[in-house]
Amino acid sequence: MGTKQYPQPPDWQRDFPYRQEEARLVTRREFSRMLCLISAAMVTGSGYVAIRSFWKGKKGPAGRFAVCSVSELPLGGTRSFQLPGSNTPYILIHLENGQFRAYEQKCTHLSCAVFYKAGTGKIECPCHNGWFDANTGEVVQGPPPRPLPALEVMVESGQVYVNGPA
Amino acid sequence: MSNFRRAQDEAHPNKTSTLTLAIIVVQILLITLQIWLLYSGLNNTLEHNRDVAIPALIASFILFLACCGLLYFLPGRKR
Repeated sequence: MGTKQYPQPPDWQRDFPYRQEEARLVTRREFSRMLCLISAAMVTGSGYVAIRSFWKGKKGPAGRFAVCSVSELPLGGTRSFQLPGSNTPYILIHLENGQFRAYEQKCTHLSCAVFYKAGTGKIECPCHNGWFDANTGEVVQGPPPRPLPALEVMVESGQVYVNGPA
Repeated sequence: MSNFRRAQDEAHPNKTSTLTLAIIVVQILLITLQIWLLYSGLNNTLEHNRDVAIPALIASFILFLACCGLLYFLPGRKR
């Protein structure tokens, strides 16, 4: 009576087994080849970024939008808002010097919500202690790699308007 | 006629082992550079600075070729 023959798993499954104890088949040669695959993945990623940098994708809403009236926002006050047809959260800030600024309310590090710290002139990202200049949106401190995207703000007849990012 | 492969096959296992490890270390270094290029390209693109993405792609591709080229020097299996 012959012993029952089980089908051999394919090569890729023997190189990357499910269970740890079967992992002895992965040699340094195979690991080195796998590093080449990772390197190819990096080239693919860089290619995707290069294509996206020249691809004109869907833009944000264009035009002028009313956010609130000047009297609704005291000095140092903030208001969160969204533009029609967009899910991106924005924050309107009434700075202590009387000027208005509007920024995307997503940290450029890992997209946590940012908040204006009244009296300091700085916007704080509490997730990883990132700080932005409330006047310019530039990074002051912490891990964020880019400034906060800003919207143009206009004040006309007691009403605060912003221009869409498109 | 002797070539580097034949000499490599006749070398002491300690030497080929060191060479294998050295190749893996260099490959990891090259991939680290590629990660940095990808990160820089992505950040500049998000900042609407288009001048970085294409040079980063070219450099990343050259590093990939170098990574694959190193496989040529990987010692063969002992028979």
